[in-house]
Amino acid sequence: MPPRLPRFIGDGRLSKALLGPELRAAVEGLPIADAGHGVDRFGLSRSGAARGIALTRFLYEHWFRVVSHDIEHVPASGAAVLAANHSGTLPVDALMLAHDLVRNRGRVARIAMDWFVPGLPWVNLVFIRGGGFSGTRGNFHALLEAGELLLAFPEGVPGIGKPFAERYTLQTWRRGHAELAIRHGAPIVPVGVVGAEEQMPQIARIEGFHVMGAPYLPIPATPVPLPVRIHLWYGEPIPIPSLYRPEHAHDAVAVDEAAERVKLAVRGLLARGLAERRGVFR
Amino acid sequence: MNALVTGATTPLGRALVDRLVVHGPVLAVGLEEDGRFDHPDVRYVAADLTRARSVRELIYGPATEHGTDVLVHLAFHRRAGRARSAALHIEATRLLLRLAEESPVLKRFVHRSTAEVYAVRLDRPDILREDHPLELAPTAPAWVRERVAADLAACTRMGMSPIDIVVLRCAEILAPDMGSQLHDWLSASVCFRPMGYDPLVNVLSLEDASRAFELAALGSGSGVYNIPGADTLPLTALVRESGRDAIGLPGPLLGPLYAARRRLTGARFRYRDNAWRFHFNGVLDGSRAARDLGFRPSCRLSLG
Repeated sequence: MPPRLPRFIGDGRLSKALLGPELRAAVEGLPIADAGHGVDRFGLSRSGAARGIALTRFLYEHWFRVVSHDIEHVPASGAAVLAANHSGTLPVDALMLAHDLVRNRGRVARIAMDWFVPGLPWVNLVFIRGGGFSGTRGNFHALLEAGELLLAFPEGVPGIGKPFAERYTLQTWRRGHAELAIRHGAPIVPVGVVGAEEQMPQIARIEGFHVMGAPYLPIPATPVPLPVRIHLWYGEPIPIPSLYRPEHAHDAVAVDEAAERVKLAVRGLLARGLAERRGVFR
Repeated sequence: MNALVTGATTPLGRALVDRLVVHGPVLAVGLEEDGRFDHPDVRYVAADLTRARSVRELIYGPATEHGTDVLVHLAFHRRAGRARSAALHIEATRLLLRLAEESPVLKRFVHRSTAEVYAVRLDRPDILREDHPLELAPTAPAWVRERVAADLAACTRMGMSPIDIVVLRCAEILAPDMGSQLHDWLSASVCFRPMGYDPLVNVLSLEDASRAFELAALGSGSGVYNIPGADTLPLTALVRESGRDAIGLPGPLLGPLYAARRRLTGARFRYRDNAWRFHFNGVLDGSRAARDLGFRPSCRLSLG
């Protein structure tokens, strides 16, 4: 008798079926600090990670046909911060990066989510069980202390919400990721995401829409993301521990300088990625 | 060590008295006139801590005669929102602290606080360290505000007091007669929760809680410490492991539903008081207690 659908989804058999042997092995090998009941202290679970990878596999392999460049720049272990450009109305860039890091580096990206995301019913569960966390300073501290790989988008909501005309133009670059990386002596890996900026052009937005804490309601030009090709360019790690001492985290000039280095590195990766790609869809 | 334990007739009090009596005689204090302890080195004294005279008589009478050097203040009102609870939580704590400082024999004061004193919010960290903001919102339930006031009453004396003051902010002790809201919520065969959310909760066993207070009583120095339990798990997993069924409902329905349940069955669980932690993670960080007190939770709950 075929399994009942809710049970088939709930107990992880659907995820396993969608993953295939290689991705299943990658998920099984992920280092997860189990707090005792299959979840870590932030809510990441292996089954949640498996579900996330299974659900994004089609997007990664067939819809966006993601190409990963220089992923060996991401440290294989220990605390590190990935800082990437943000774009595209929907956080496809975060999902593709998280998928890529599990698939090709065997690491879970702890995605720093804007504060309103944990307030969204069901959406919060998908992200939190898959490794996301509410992007507060306290959580950032705790995860870096625990030696995790953090994925931050220093542009924040203005990045994902920028109009199509401003694609690949970095918005105001926040400093928090640099300060915390200095404090914890963690390297920062700049990441340029090329392609995501065209996947769901935003033509307008309703500013007064704040249901569930959302900053606005985006009006995209297309009902579904366009099947653009996404390139993920990982830059050489910025050796924060050898450039700054932890006490420099209190020095605004040093923090600004570190954040600017990261921004310039991301800008350089974007320029290279745009120059080398053969077309938006190719 | 000569210890005095208030709230000694509660399950936690009894477990702690059993531990402390190994280190020396214990003066067990409870509200009941007929509280009994079988151990010869445990002396039981009935005292109403909401009455100032009763507290004075306790400290200058039996406690001084007994040579008490450590006072462990566990007394908590088990029912939330009662008139006596403010007197017990705030006034009795302040008075006990003041009298302990004036006492010729007392050298250490251990205060039981709870994780509910922390503000769990969407924009706050999931991991609650000792410097996490406290729940000072005017809309917070009265019993939470009382516990915050009692906690602060003890914390503000640290560094100014001639005695050592220790505050233990315990995770919820999932046991009967401990005033646990979660325990009451889990007592129903079907547990309703807000749909679309499954936050992490941390629960503490009675064994671990009593061990933490034993270590705090035996230690030296002052400080605030989180006391987490060994079980950190999603709310739905807690329900499942307790042998219950969890049903998700829209959040706005849960307040009236549980208010009706309270009126009909006399249950104690109030959804409004727990709404934040039924949506967002709030897990105590116990690294400070591990470092300074040597406390690490080890007893997993046997749920179900």
